[in-house]
Amino acid sequence: MTELRVPMPEGPTLSFGLQIQPQSRMVSIVRRFVEESFEKLVGDPEAVFRVSLAVHELLENAAKYAVGDKTGLTVHFESNGSAARIKLTNQTTPEHIERLRACIAEIQSSKEPFALYQTLMRRTFGVPDESGLGLARIRAEGELDLSLEIDGTMVTITASCLSAQRQGHE
Amino acid sequence: MSSWETTMKEPDFGAQASSNERRIQVSLTGTADLTVKNQLERFLRDVHAEAQRSLAEEVTVDVRQLEFMNSSCLKCFVWWISTVQEQTGDGKYRITFVSSPSVYWQRRSLNALACLANDIITIQA
Repeated sequence: MTELRVPMPEGPTLSFGLQIQPQSRMVSIVRRFVEESFEKLVGDPEAVFRVSLAVHELLENAAKYAVGDKTGLTVHFESNGSAARIKLTNQTTPEHIERLRACIAEIQSSKEPFALYQTLMRRTFGVPDESGLGLARIRAEGELDLSLEIDGTMVTITASCLSAQRQGHE
Repeated sequence: MSSWETTMKEPDFGAQASSNERRIQVSLTGTADLTVKNQLERFLRDVHAEAQRSLAEEVTVDVRQLEFMNSSCLKCFVWWISTVQEQTGDGKYRITFVSSPSVYWQRRSLNALACLANDIITIQA
């Protein structure tokens, strides 16, 4: 089985990496860990919330759609609050990769993330399966950019922003 | 005195509702995530059914003690709000969210819900 390596950022960052089983019961535990750890280190609780929101929604995606028993998560803030990045890596099915590709492309191409979020809410509330709403929420509520890397059946979703603290105050 | 009550208790999530005349009070606590999505969906269906039966004028949802809500559970609320919005006459009722400014998900997520139906949703902070 492919070993998931969690790359750690270099430089003046507050960061951690985790390898966990993609299980729904783990999601809120990890989100609380992120909140409680970074609240003590970053002086902007709303910026911390935006990062923890992304952690939660990305981990839930992994809990629902990952193949295999490992998910790699890295989270980091620049120590001066100038950037934040959350990366989640896991294996998944070709069908889910195609859905992810389409969903993230739609989010990336939208000039109005909040309007897209509202559209997806209306479009998907009766849809029991994959809706992409969690990813749209990361973009609209979390104000984080999303990108997708694909390597075979391994996918990495990155949520990032250049200025978590400044945007959090707007 | 309450004429109708329902309660749901999970290890990390709780929901209770009661009605008095034509008003329903709902209180949510803990974390609404993937592990309780189906239970929350059933709970909101029960609340809506009671609101229809009692011809409720308003349902107040106190989320001040709700630490977090994920997107799947938000979808349950989108279903509820959309269903109420489709009602006509006495079947339509207002939904008021009572929120806490210190719980950071609430301002952004409740605003997103309110934008779906400004005519029936009020947010108290």
